[in-house]
Amino acid sequence: MTSQIYNQKKFIPTAPEKGSFPLDHESLCKKHFLIYASCLRRNDNDNSKCRAEAKEYLGCRMENNLMEKTEWAKLGFPEKEQPTVKEQQQ
Amino acid sequence: MLRTFGSLRMHCQQVLKQTNKQPLTTRTCRKQSTLGGNRSDPDAARKLRSKSTLYYITAGGVLIVGFSYAAVPLYSIFCQAYSYGGTTSQGHDTEKVEHMVKVNDRVLKIRFNADIGSSMRWNFKPQQYEIKVAPGETALAFYTAKNPTDKPVVGISTYNVIPFEAGAYFNKIQCFCFEEQMLNPHEEVDMPVFFYIDPEITQDPALEYCDTITLSYTFFEAKEGLKLNFPTYAKPHAASA
Repeated sequence: MTSQIYNQKKFIPTAPEKGSFPLDHESLCKKHFLIYASCLRRNDNDNSKCRAEAKEYLGCRMENNLMEKTEWAKLGFPEKEQPTVKEQQQ
Repeated sequence: MLRTFGSLRMHCQQVLKQTNKQPLTTRTCRKQSTLGGNRSDPDAARKLRSKSTLYYITAGGVLIVGFSYAAVPLYSIFCQAYSYGGTTSQGHDTEKVEHMVKVNDRVLKIRFNADIGSSMRWNFKPQQYEIKVAPGETALAFYTAKNPTDKPVVGISTYNVIPFEAGAYFNKIQCFCFEEQMLNPHEEVDMPVFFYIDPEITQDPALEYCDTITLSYTFFEAKEGLKLNFPTYAKPHAASA
């Protein structure tokens, strides 16, 4: 850590909020992952269009005990449509 | 230094000889009179005062120089503790994810890069070249790692975000870094990274023209005694409920 004082441009990695994903050794969620990956390829790698598939994958992880069960709102998947910035400004 | 030491010793010996030759009362009187040298009293007092002021000023100067050297590590410790002045805060606000609002007019391309250490025997690559993400929206990305060897290999990873200033806005909710991950022989796993870009990135003038952020993961083999440069606050989390 002391080496970072003199080199101001050094990057400080931060720990992830929920920690580390345990590895999916048995490939339990591989199908959901493949669905998500194909969705991304179809939509030109646009994340906004593949939110449902991402939610499915995380749901699979939670079911198979590969991820802590949390509310969807806390993971950024709101139950109802949230107003985006442009709408709020109007 | 030896010369001054020698002269000091000679001076001490002389003083001792003088004091030994005389009885006690005159010895103390002599001592007092030789304090300020062979000068009169007010002059001696003034000399003594100016000497002590000089010592005080020198000590003050040394203290100021020492403090300015010590301020550098002290300030960085203070910054780490209170995240003042732009350094990343230690604890991410989980409430923020709930209430953050997606910014529609700014779309950032996140590129993914995968590296391995020179002695690491895994095959590690990202599953998608890039993802278009809007700030304020959580995103999921995947990396794949395969162990082609016949022995289980334990790996540990760290990451980097380029450009440097964007790293402060890149918040990971969950990933696979900073913890040892073991792969059995001939096993292939998908490793997800769940992250979001802080919507406050739109207010940062340094990142106004930045529309590509690169996330780079590097895997090293975890051997006994291998020490990676971890942040001290990274603790292994148990992910099962």
